[in-house]
Amino acid sequence: MQQSAQASAVSKSADEPAAASDPNRQRRRERLLQLGTLVLLLAVWEFAARDANKLLVAVPSDIAVATWELLLNGELFSATIDSMSTFVLGFIIASVIGIVIGFAMGTNRTVEVILDPYINALYAMPLVALIPILMLWVGIGFLAKITIIILFAVFPVIINTVTGVKNVDRHYLDIGKAFMASRLMVYRKIIAPYALPYVASGLRIALGRGIIAMIVAEFLTSISGLGGLIINYTNAFETAKAFAPVLVVALLANALTILVQKVEERFGRWRRR
Amino acid sequence: MPKLSVRNLTKRFPVSGGPSMTALDGVDLDVEEGEFVAFVGPSGCGKTTLLRIIQGLETATSGEILIDGKPVTGPGHDRGFVFQQYGLLPWLTAAQNIGFALEAKGIPPNRQGETTERVLATVGLKGFGDRFPHQLSGGMQQRVGIARALAIEPEIMLLDEPFGALDALTREILQNEMLGLTERMGKTILFVTHSVDEAVCLADRVVVMSPRPGRIREIVPIDIPRPRASLGEALRDTPEYVAKRHQLWTQLMDLV
Ligand SMILES: Nc1ncnc2c1ncn2[C@@H]1O[C@H](COP(=O)(O)OP(=O)(O)O)[C@@H](O)[C@H]1O
Ligand SMILES: [Mg+2]
Repeated sequence: MQQSAQASAVSKSADEPAAASDPNRQRRRERLLQLGTLVLLLAVWEFAARDANKLLVAVPSDIAVATWELLLNGELFSATIDSMSTFVLGFIIASVIGIVIGFAMGTNRTVEVILDPYINALYAMPLVALIPILMLWVGIGFLAKITIIILFAVFPVIINTVTGVKNVDRHYLDIGKAFMASRLMVYRKIIAPYALPYVASGLRIALGRGIIAMIVAEFLTSISGLGGLIINYTNAFETAKAFAPVLVVALLANALTILVQKVEERFGRWRRR
Repeated sequence: MPKLSVRNLTKRFPVSGGPSMTALDGVDLDVEEGEFVAFVGPSGCGKTTLLRIIQGLETATSGEILIDGKPVTGPGHDRGFVFQQYGLLPWLTAAQNIGFALEAKGIPPNRQGETTERVLATVGLKGFGDRFPHQLSGGMQQRVGIARALAIEPEIMLLDEPFGALDALTREILQNEMLGLTERMGKTILFVTHSVDEAVCLADRVVVMSPRPGRIREIVPIDIPRPRASLGEALRDTPEYVAKRHQLWTQLMDLV
């Protein structure tokens, strides 16, 4: 009994490795290739910049040491909390406003006709140009930063939501009509799920633009957070320390993008084949 | 009084930069309670449009629809519609798709489960409630569509080529089930098909329609005694079946 089970296990593993582990091995080889390239790049940087002016160029080993220092004294942590709390709040407000306006425009032609030109113009223009004027109105504090983040992040959410809502397949709306679904049901169970992937890609774009807005706001309004660290340490010619917050911003942006993707996948389960 | 009357129904669709297109032209039809009426005709003769107007998904240009003598002004829970394609919401499970219709009818969530289970069992999908449409075969998806229409307990069922996109075998299986189902329930049914076979098997009367403009060409009674479900394959050997099938074929050939 045991023997036969063993035998079948053996024969199975003899049949399958070619099919089962090949894509895995392939993936491992690709990861290794990427890791190798990174190490090579850092090494080249380290050696090429070794003799350069330390005030202007930092090498990877100095950056690592500086990052470690800023981690230990808590500076990096508190700057990250400062930036992220502002960013997350701004991003959430932008998402809610964007989805609500997008829904209104997508389902009501009058609202769309009125708002469409402004939305498109503001989305296309370099919003940085507005920041000085904005500061006249809302100052240079927390409110200014939130406003700038919302301004940068809201338009892609609106535009993508409108596209999703307006694209809803007529067949699905017919189901709602045939069974006499209420307006609210049509919104919740037909339009919203249909538009979700569009909204999600709007959110991904908004995320990138929101992070830019956060850093720009920290550069231009009251200097604070991760952007503040970058400015302050650059001005003090502590270049290695200026790189640490840059690293954090890069990691955060990527982590948040992955998070949005995961949320999107969770809600898009019905689409998986 | 007939259960359903179609009175001098005309439907014209506007065509941009041209004369409007007449999809239905003066259609008259009475359907008795419990009757099964099949519609056949070349594509474009207005079968879908007729069903959609009866359901209230489309408004007629002129003429009217009466149910129990009262004019129909829009969709209603007294009619259950089965779509040809894209009839299920892909982001809802089979049970949730049925629940959608129940919720729309105002049945509270805690009283939906029992009905959902029952109609899923009726169409042979017991235990498949938590599958998403893409996890079901085409035939199973159509069964869910039929189950959803049954769930709201309509007086009239409207089915627009429900088996049109299925392979021949699945189609025949579902036809036989449909026969059993309708003979047990005795509902009034309007059934569009492009299969003469299907029409003769299932219907009490077959309405032959002709295109451009969509009109009723002929109404053919099918006098195969019921229940037919018990006949099985022998149904297709009865002289009435063979004769009516031939008659309808000849008429359709003249139209194409
Ligand atoms: N929404 C619409 N707008 C314009 N023309 C339509 C529309 N729906 C159907 N038609 C036209 O009306 C005619 C009848 O269509 P349909 O009822 O779908 O026929 P069938 O179901 O018999 O194939 C066709 O010529 C079709 O192109
Ligand atoms: Mg059709």
